[in-house]
Amino acid sequence: MNEKKAMQAARRRSLTFTLVRGAAAIGIALLVAAVLIFVSADGDRLAHTGEALRQLLIGPLFRSNGSINVKNICDVLAAMIPTIFTGLATCVMFSANQFNLGAEGGIMLGAFVSALFAVYVPLPAGVLPVVAVLAAAAAVSVMMLIPAVLKAKLGVSEMVNSLMLNYVVMYLIKYLLNTHLADKTKGQIQSYPFQEQARIAPLIDNGSMLTWGFVIALIFVVLTSLFMYRTRWGYGIRMIGINQDFARYSGMNVAAIVILSQVLGGALAGIGGGVEMLGRYSAYSWNALPGYGWTGITVAILAGNNPAFVPLAAFFMAYLNKGCLLMSTYCGVPSQLIDILQAVIFVFFAAKQFLAKYRQRLVVKGAQEELAAQKAAAAEAAAETAEGSVK
Amino acid sequence: MLQLIFNTDFFFSILRITAPILFATLGAVVGEKAGVSNIGLEGTMMVSALFGSLTTYWSGSWAVGLVVALFCGVLVSLLMGFFAFNLKTDIILTGIAVNMIGSGGTLFLVKVITQQTEGKALASTTSLITAAHQIPSWNIPLIKDIPILGPILSGHCILTYVAFLLVFLTWVLLYRTPLGLNIRSVGENPNAASSVGVSVLKIKYIAIGFSGLMAGFGGAFMSMYYSMGWSLDMVAGRGFIALAAQAMGAGEPVGSMLSALVFGFAQAFSIKVSSKGIDSNLVTPIPYLVTILGLVAFALVLRHRVKKQHSASALEKTAK
Amino acid sequence: MAEEYVVQMKGITKVYPNGIAANQDVDFNVRKGEIHALMGENGAGKSTLMKMLFGLEQPTSGEIWVNGEKVNLSSPAVAISKGIGMVHQHFMLVPSLTVAENMVLGMVPKKSGLFIDQKKAVEITEEYSRKFNLEVDPNAKVMDIPVGMKQKVEILKALVRGAKILILDEPTAVLTTQETTELFRELVNLKNQGYTLIFISHKLNEIMEITDRMTILRGGKSMGVHETKDVTAEEISRLMVGRDVVLKVQKDKAQPGDEVLRVRDLEYVNEWGKKMLDKVSFSLRRGEILGIAGVEGNGQKELVDMLFHLNVPNAGTATVNGENILGVSQRKIREKGVSLVPEDRMLYGIAGAASIQENMIADRCGSKRLNKGPMFDMKSIHAEVDQLIQDYTVLCKSGSQRVDNLSGGNIQKVVVAREFSNNPCLIIADQPTRGIDVGATEFIRKKLVELSRAGVAVLLVSADLNEVMELSDSLMVMCGGRIAAYFEDTSELSDEVMGEYMLGLKRQTPEEVRRVCHE
Repeated sequence: MNEKKAMQAARRRSLTFTLVRGAAAIGIALLVAAVLIFVSADGDRLAHTGEALRQLLIGPLFRSNGSINVKNICDVLAAMIPTIFTGLATCVMFSANQFNLGAEGGIMLGAFVSALFAVYVPLPAGVLPVVAVLAAAAAVSVMMLIPAVLKAKLGVSEMVNSLMLNYVVMYLIKYLLNTHLADKTKGQIQSYPFQEQARIAPLIDNGSMLTWGFVIALIFVVLTSLFMYRTRWGYGIRMIGINQDFARYSGMNVAAIVILSQVLGGALAGIGGGVEMLGRYSAYSWNALPGYGWTGITVAILAGNNPAFVPLAAFFMAYLNKGCLLMSTYCGVPSQLIDILQAVIFVFFAAKQFLAKYRQRLVVKGAQEELAAQKAAAAEAAAETAEGSVK
Repeated sequence: MLQLIFNTDFFFSILRITAPILFATLGAVVGEKAGVSNIGLEGTMMVSALFGSLTTYWSGSWAVGLVVALFCGVLVSLLMGFFAFNLKTDIILTGIAVNMIGSGGTLFLVKVITQQTEGKALASTTSLITAAHQIPSWNIPLIKDIPILGPILSGHCILTYVAFLLVFLTWVLLYRTPLGLNIRSVGENPNAASSVGVSVLKIKYIAIGFSGLMAGFGGAFMSMYYSMGWSLDMVAGRGFIALAAQAMGAGEPVGSMLSALVFGFAQAFSIKVSSKGIDSNLVTPIPYLVTILGLVAFALVLRHRVKKQHSASALEKTAK
Repeated sequence: MAEEYVVQMKGITKVYPNGIAANQDVDFNVRKGEIHALMGENGAGKSTLMKMLFGLEQPTSGEIWVNGEKVNLSSPAVAISKGIGMVHQHFMLVPSLTVAENMVLGMVPKKSGLFIDQKKAVEITEEYSRKFNLEVDPNAKVMDIPVGMKQKVEILKALVRGAKILILDEPTAVLTTQETTELFRELVNLKNQGYTLIFISHKLNEIMEITDRMTILRGGKSMGVHETKDVTAEEISRLMVGRDVVLKVQKDKAQPGDEVLRVRDLEYVNEWGKKMLDKVSFSLRRGEILGIAGVEGNGQKELVDMLFHLNVPNAGTATVNGENILGVSQRKIREKGVSLVPEDRMLYGIAGAASIQENMIADRCGSKRLNKGPMFDMKSIHAEVDQLIQDYTVLCKSGSQRVDNLSGGNIQKVVVAREFSNNPCLIIADQPTRGIDVGATEFIRKKLVELSRAGVAVLLVSADLNEVMELSDSLMVMCGGRIAAYFEDTSELSDEVMGEYMLGLKRQTPEEVRRVCHE
């Protein structure tokens, strides 16, 4: 009984700590934001900063008249779709201690490949989007094979290689889009329009782009969680992430798991690209890296590499991003403030020693409680035996 | 065709293109020697490039701009150090955060500072920097008159010479000074260093500060000479290529310089080729591909060496 | 009388961030010019206490006084400035630097105000080497010199920094008997010159031989201070472990069966070109425990590494039940029924941040009984792990507890539970009880005997002479990468005989050694 209580107390302490820490990280980021807005504002700086922060924090929720803004909320949910996927991809790869940063190029490639299918492959409704998204997953998996195999077989840094691949992928897509695939009738560089049956249908028809893709994303959250915590392969991925030497010694095929984690990450990023492209757009027009890969890394870090927390983290980032956009529209603060906010939250979240003194106090308190409990138990036991001997 | 490409201009451009990569590479070399993997070089260069070009515009003096660029590089990397060493954020993640600030964050700053709000990604400082602000070039007396070598070696931006001079200075720093001894021991066995009272923290800060200084040079070179002004994503992966050059050079200053030259060559080549009418989107990725191939080649050589050591021939050597 | 103490630690308590209380209200006083032993089993808190005295850790509460002055030892630099030096168990040397460079690290002599003065560094090294009669080669790279010399460099390093109080953390752990004798002579010499020495050890005979007084720690608490001449070895042993140590292991005579492990002419040259294994051949049969004794660094580690593909030999063969195991993946090796209790359990034995459960299923996570289709069968996993926890008396709250929150002995029990429970035909036990408490040690030794008597072949590698002589049915001694001796029966062996073979003073003829091949 005592043990159970101690366990619960320990869990409660660690939860308290996680919450306090998260709040502190976000608080610091908002403080940085406030300072930056204040410095950059004209006229009545204080009022301006206040208005900007209001837009950032509650803009996505309410209209100016105080009513709930369903459209904005749907926008936020829609914006989660790609970052849930890149977040999941990063979770899987980082869990294996593979610092593959290719989700950025991966989601672009996935979007591009599914767009090709959507434009050129004549398949019936219902089949085409599925095939297009699967093709995207396959294409990005193959792309990730390059850094993965090189890491597993030759020990080449997957980080540098995946970064280089991002650039290669981007330029090759730009080349193809500019030349062979361009719809010359359009003013901007883009592909021919998708076939109507390729589109992923909207969930709510209010122009928010909240499509069935959101549901697909949530399904993949569940699948990825189950994979990571309830299958031997996910287990292997987590073990090599914790201690690769141990995994090899235990008889796991480390090279295969290193490759698996990155290929799987690639597949998730590819699906994300496909779902986003077929849900939101009617023709392919990305000609630069979309940035979802980097946001995905932030999402994974906020989620502590646990897929189950990815939607929460993705929501948070999407909400902030929407807030930044509103702030830029209504208050003239450049929306790239999100990148600075993201970086600040990110480093504080990943900081092991951030508020460590506070945690140490909690731990010491816990240890003292435990010692006291032990002493009490020992005294009780001693009393009992004494009683027993008397009898 | 070959003659059109391989002329003195071409070799001149290799050195010019290598210089910013070389700065970042030296930063990576010293960082790694102290056990600090600075993948934030890319973002640090962006920040330095931005503030270097802005101060140059405000002050009208490239020297002031350069100093500010260096200062920013050191500041950013020390901040990185604070998170990585004091708050124990994974150094790789810290680097990623710096790179986020280096791309979107710098764009935010440039919009706020210059009040340019037109369009999404168009804000830049290219309109602010003119030839008068550019870091000057230097025609080396005597050498400039040597045929072939003269046009290749002379007339570079002074920072190009600084970059190659720094290769030698970095070597001296690492292998001939007490600080270098400390840096190497901190990287190899931090416990040994701290047990004799060398402050591991201080040495790591010095190493990451040095790599920030180098990134500052690289950033200044990019925005105040190479591209004449700051624009989004102008560093274009040079900070990452530097990491590859460091690895291929086995972490030694001279070897890493040679690898940096390989990348310089690849990029100079791709620029030349695209000027001959081939789609730039096809040739621009060449340096990135060369980086991957270079890392693979280096890994293969290493593996060959290891295999050799496990072969039976290693037995014979010891037998004699 | 307080002023006679050069070091006073008062009421020291240390709680680590993971909640482990390594020291609880410990008092520790050292007189000037004495050799003071700090004793206790591994995990008793000796190292933690000394880390605080050397500024590597800070006490959670308590005071430290040095030379009658209250000090705040916030870093080793501060400790050094107070005249405290430490010779660590794991050498604090930079392998790629020379002896002289290591000597002056952190206080490098300069020339022209900027550069390293190599000549001066060598001179300083030679001067101290002569003064204290500790012979070293200033220009050799540390990675090329023998262990004994590395230790001398460590001692000189402390002295050159003006240390008057020297902490020696298990200095004899890596030394041969000869080197130990030499070290003791040098230590007494230092004592006679007025230096104060704190000597950490858990070897009774060494303590009795050279120390004046001792402080004994047990479970993080002090068990008092004693004059060495006033206590007996038995008393110390009782204070250390709280009961009489049972060294004898009860076991029936072995009845060796068929050959399981067959090693022939194994050779290995390490990365610095040193021959670590030289034509090693032996056979191990069902139902026997074959011990490998030897001073550490004579090829035992390399041999084990080869057998479990943690390294690749240059030549030779090794088979288990007739099938090759060299250069074969660990999974294949395990499929042939080989288990390994690794020497370095924190590196190979466990994934620290994972749970006990996750650590226990590592070698069998793909087995049919723990999987239902593509998914884990969580019920069977819980059942199997709970059974193992019970069978191996792992002291924990539940299987979901993080394994690195356990004590050393319990961590090793997790490792052993996994390695012993998957129907092995061959167990390689590399230092299976190093650094763990007596209870766990006894448990693991009993299990090994039990398994061998049930028909498992056991290869026992241990630097603990007592363990290897008590447990083994037959015994090999490794020296200089070769099998120096083979004893078919260990019951009549004496320490003296073993020592001679271990130190290379004697060597059996090739024919005598060849008997271990059972051909």
